[in-house]
Amino acid sequence: MVEEARKPHIEVENLEIHYGTVPAVRGVSFSVQPGEQLTLLGPSGCGKTTTLRAIAGLEQPSAGEIRIGGAAVYSSAQHVNIPAEKRGLSMVFQSYAIWPHMTVFENVAYGLRVRRESKEAIVVKVDRALDMVQMRPYRDRGASQLSGGQQQRVALARAFVFQPQVLLFDEPLSNLDAKLRGDMRIELRELQHRLGVTSVYVTHDLEEALAMSDRIVVMRDGLIAQVGSPGDIYNTPRNAFVADFVGSANLISGKHRTDLDADGLIALETPSGAILYGMAHGRPAGATLTMSVRTVHLHLSLQKPNASRNVWPVRIERTVFQGDFTQTHVAWGDQRLVVRAAGIEPLAEGQQAFMTVDPGRVVLLEE
Amino acid sequence: MTLTRWRSPQALAGALVALVAGLLVLYPVAYLLQAALNTGDPEARPPTQYGFDNFASLLAYPQIILNTLTVSFAATAMALVLGFAMAWIITRTNVPGRRFFEQMMIVPYYLTPLLGALAWSLLGTPESGFLNQVYRALGGHDYLIDINSAAGIAWVMALFEGSVAFVMIGAVMKSMDPALEEASQVMGASRLRTMLKITLPLVLPGVLGAAVFCFAEMLGSFAAALVLGLPSRFYVVTTAIYTLVQQYPPKITVAAAMGTSLFVVMFAMLFVYRRIITAGSYVTITGKAFRPRVNDVGRLKYVLLTICVLYLVCSVVLPLLTLLYASVQKISTAFPAASNFTTEHFYKAFTMNAATTALGNSLWLAFWTSTLGVVLMGLISWIIYRSRLPGASVIEYIVMFPQAVPRLVFAFGMMWAWLVFPIPIYGTLWLLLIAYLTVFLPLGVRTISGVMLQIDKSLEECAQMCGAGWAYRIRTVTVPLLWPGLIAAWLLLFVASIRELGASILLMGPHSKVITPSIVESWFASSTELTAALALIQTAVVAVAVSVLLAVTRRVTTHITD
Repeated sequence: MVEEARKPHIEVENLEIHYGTVPAVRGVSFSVQPGEQLTLLGPSGCGKTTTLRAIAGLEQPSAGEIRIGGAAVYSSAQHVNIPAEKRGLSMVFQSYAIWPHMTVFENVAYGLRVRRESKEAIVVKVDRALDMVQMRPYRDRGASQLSGGQQQRVALARAFVFQPQVLLFDEPLSNLDAKLRGDMRIELRELQHRLGVTSVYVTHDLEEALAMSDRIVVMRDGLIAQVGSPGDIYNTPRNAFVADFVGSANLISGKHRTDLDADGLIALETPSGAILYGMAHGRPAGATLTMSVRTVHLHLSLQKPNASRNVWPVRIERTVFQGDFTQTHVAWGDQRLVVRAAGIEPLAEGQQAFMTVDPGRVVLLEE
Repeated sequence: MTLTRWRSPQALAGALVALVAGLLVLYPVAYLLQAALNTGDPEARPPTQYGFDNFASLLAYPQIILNTLTVSFAATAMALVLGFAMAWIITRTNVPGRRFFEQMMIVPYYLTPLLGALAWSLLGTPESGFLNQVYRALGGHDYLIDINSAAGIAWVMALFEGSVAFVMIGAVMKSMDPALEEASQVMGASRLRTMLKITLPLVLPGVLGAAVFCFAEMLGSFAAALVLGLPSRFYVVTTAIYTLVQQYPPKITVAAAMGTSLFVVMFAMLFVYRRIITAGSYVTITGKAFRPRVNDVGRLKYVLLTICVLYLVCSVVLPLLTLLYASVQKISTAFPAASNFTTEHFYKAFTMNAATTALGNSLWLAFWTSTLGVVLMGLISWIIYRSRLPGASVIEYIVMFPQAVPRLVFAFGMMWAWLVFPIPIYGTLWLLLIAYLTVFLPLGVRTISGVMLQIDKSLEECAQMCGAGWAYRIRTVTVPLLWPGLIAAWLLLFVASIRELGASILLMGPHSKVITPSIVESWFASSTELTAALALIQTAVVAVAVSVLLAVTRRVTTHITD
């Protein structure tokens, strides 16, 4: 949990960025605590990379303010715009940006040379950084002789070797294959903890965001959709967009049956008459409601379960075996829902079954 | 603005370079327009009266307009047929030696239309042309071909300026995904149907674009019309402008109006070209080069091979041999005789003051044009494509502007502009240097930015994130990565400078002669044989530079694909 007393390391306030006349970021505010790993998550075109590049100083905002360590690096009101090279940040690029005309050593040493460190210090620091990413044996190789994963490690070493206050990551793992991406995720997280550096991470990959972040900012169309810990974002999405984008969810809409509300639960009646109980999480419940149920929280069984609420008969329409889990499409009244479960016997298509969900897993959405 | 970015060296360099480019390009154009609109006393500077009378007076030259249109249409048509045929043969059929022919296709372009016109003039003038001499010796009457006619001029223009059509159409054919045609065949369509329904519609925008582009080029082309048209008093708009300026008394204002109209028309055509290319962009939507599907044409391939060989004979082998043959004869004639053999023309070319001075001047100019040009144009490319400075796209338009203006017309504006310039550079090599730097802006910027755009932007941004300032990152990252592109640009500028005619012919003074206009002068004023020798020497210089260029660019391509 975030400590209120600590002063935020990075503060972004009402940031607006336009490409020509097209708004890319439309008023975004958030802050990053010292040592925290914050992730900007969203589909392509949501403004997450643009926001990151504005923090870096590679993109010129049109309005708002960005402060790092309390000092404004960009402020439209005060006409401040510190160039990227003077902001004391570092960044790992999506394309790795390994300079092809330099060796691994030269690549990593670049930031130290810029800072006019002594030759001996450079050798020591570069070797230590290369050790941390297990690339020491490759220090004299040319960049074109490295694989994608190796380039990624070099890019990482190059980014932290000069001990920047803040590390920015622009989808650093998106060019790696799935297996390597999984390994690198864990490595990156460990490295980030070891360095204790404040970092802002951009990704469109949900798993990556959940696995690597202390806090997630979900963005959509240049605005923030929700801010919270990975658990908050996953378990209590604020709106349909977040529920749908962050993991697969079923969205169910209907009338609010205030007469049936009980035990702190809100009752929703679907157009086909089924009653669904869910949690409001303090959100206002109007006359019509939308609730979100994760596909993995729905359970199917042939016997009727012993629950008083949220049990319905359904018909199995189709089952799709997807390896780690089986996806089942069921007809629930006139709505089709998706249920995912690991390792169960697939039910036969056309079969009647019972579906149930814990009301605590059903989340009322705003708006 | 108090944003710190505005005080950075990057912004300063940007503003300075933009100012220089703007001055180079817009200053002469302004003078051209002023002269064209001057209806008062033509000697008065600035003009006392403005109006459109000069443009109205252009209607008094219907023959020139007709000539220009005839030649341009004919040349464009020929160039398109040639370009399309060669592009199809080379990219889509299994004709033997396709690789070789593809590389040879650029040779006519490097030989220049001037050299082609000189050679074809030796071959095809009605009375003394070698081909006509042979024709009469074989019992023919009068002459076989008349190269001094509209058709003759168009033929030479098509041969030597038509390679652009080949390059453009070839690029379209290469960028077409063969799966599009294969899909049609899988659906059961015959080869012919596939050709008509799939291939043609897909390449049509490219061909149309090439047609418009070619036509604009032909409208502004100068050398062939000058060499072949002047003897028979056949004028097109460019040669008419040249004559109006050179005659006594010069008709400056009418020439200016003619030049302005020409560049307005060319500008419109290039605008249309851009529209066509963007509208038809579905062809190259992936921007990826495909391995085009090669058709097995069976026996037909020998016919196609003959076409390729004939093209090369007409555009490379025959012209070079003709010039060589003429240059080693005392008096050039179609029939060899041992008594007529001599090397005196080459000796003269290397010892004659006028020739060596002109060649020396040209080399000096070429060296400085390319050296200064690479720095200037490299900075401009960087500002346009990398700097994120506001106004970068405006700079791009200004810089690319000379492309739409024939160099002769541009030089005309420059002549006028720099005559009144407080620093007396008119009639010196400095003026030519400025002129070259201006007219070659599009060439240099396109070459350098082509390589620059291949370099991932994040390579520079990463240096910035590592804390490197502007000058440091340009020095340690941008320039080393751009190096092959800079060398290629240097050599291209060098070659272009050595063979430049349109601008030089108006701007060189008695003490600032350069080689290409001197060749033309020699052609009209002294001997044909000496001219042939001079043209060959110039070609040899260009050939050396081009071979270096090819060697370098080949290394670049292997470097990039590594």
